[in-house]
Amino acid sequence: MKQLNVIIAIALMGLSQMALASVKVTVNGMVCSFCAQGIEKSISKMDETKAVFVDLKNKVVVVEAKEGKTLNEKLISEEIKDSGYDVVKIETIPQTVAQFRAQQKDKK
Amino acid sequence: MKFPFISSGLGILLMSISVVVSAAPMGFKNSWMLMGDFSKTYQEFGLNYATTANDAFGISASAMQTDNSVSKQQNFEAVYTRKLARWNMPEAQANIWFIGGLGSTTGNTFTGSKAMASPGIQVDYETTRFYSMASARFYAAQGATSNITTARLGASFYEADYDEPQPWIVVEARRMTFVSNQYEFTPMVRVIHKRYFVEAGANLSGQLRFNFMYNY
Repeated sequence: MKQLNVIIAIALMGLSQMALASVKVTVNGMVCSFCAQGIEKSISKMDETKAVFVDLKNKVVVVEAKEGKTLNEKLISEEIKDSGYDVVKIETIPQTVAQFRAQQKDKK
Repeated sequence: MKFPFISSGLGILLMSISVVVSAAPMGFKNSWMLMGDFSKTYQEFGLNYATTANDAFGISASAMQTDNSVSKQQNFEAVYTRKLARWNMPEAQANIWFIGGLGSTTGNTFTGSKAMASPGIQVDYETTRFYSMASARFYAAQGATSNITTARLGASFYEADYDEPQPWIVVEARRMTFVSNQYEFTPMVRVIHKRYFVEAGANLSGQLRFNFMYNY
């Protein structure tokens, strides 16, 4: 029973790590890559950012953190606003940027 | 070929600016925007730097000439660009821009150099597949005042991903009173790919047109 508890605890820790893999931001006003590139550029410069994906079709931006770093959601929101857009929703998702992109491709 | 002014109502509606190229006339905060607009009757080259999400400061050099190349004018200005309003919608974006230049103008229809002010306004609305814009800009100098009014409609062939080039068809109606009181119509192909924006076409008289913007 004790062993089972340890296994569950480790599994939950793993899930918890996965759940913090990326931040997904729903953004209003993103209509072309020429305008939206400011978002990618400014968020990529942030120290804790590993990868950024701008999804024009779904109007979301996905930001993945570097290992051991925590994304600052407030700072991400500010950068997006400074690029001229409105943040509608910000949430954590379990996927990495690569996984999210692959998931979107599969949907097509 | 030039076409007569369509209607005075449309003219009033189009009272907004001719900015170089006529997309967003400035980039994101802390970015540079390089712009060019080249045709036989109008050439402009501009550079600005966005100090905030709403303000950009830059310089512009432009030249206008009539179809027969008899009258010519050159303008050199410091230009301030201000995003007056933006509406961000789930599937669209709309903007109102102010663009104001202060500088000097020279030409072969008057002697010497004259001080010039060039206030203007641009309004635009776009989605991932549709683009519309109207603009007007006044080039005011003592004894040498003219204006440029422009309207554009565009449609994209398809909705592109962020990493893909996106081609558009854009039709522009432009009146430059220095050149003529009639509107010229120019169909163009536009390609947008991240920091690059280029347009190429020819007006109905066959005069070539090329525009570009580069944001970095």
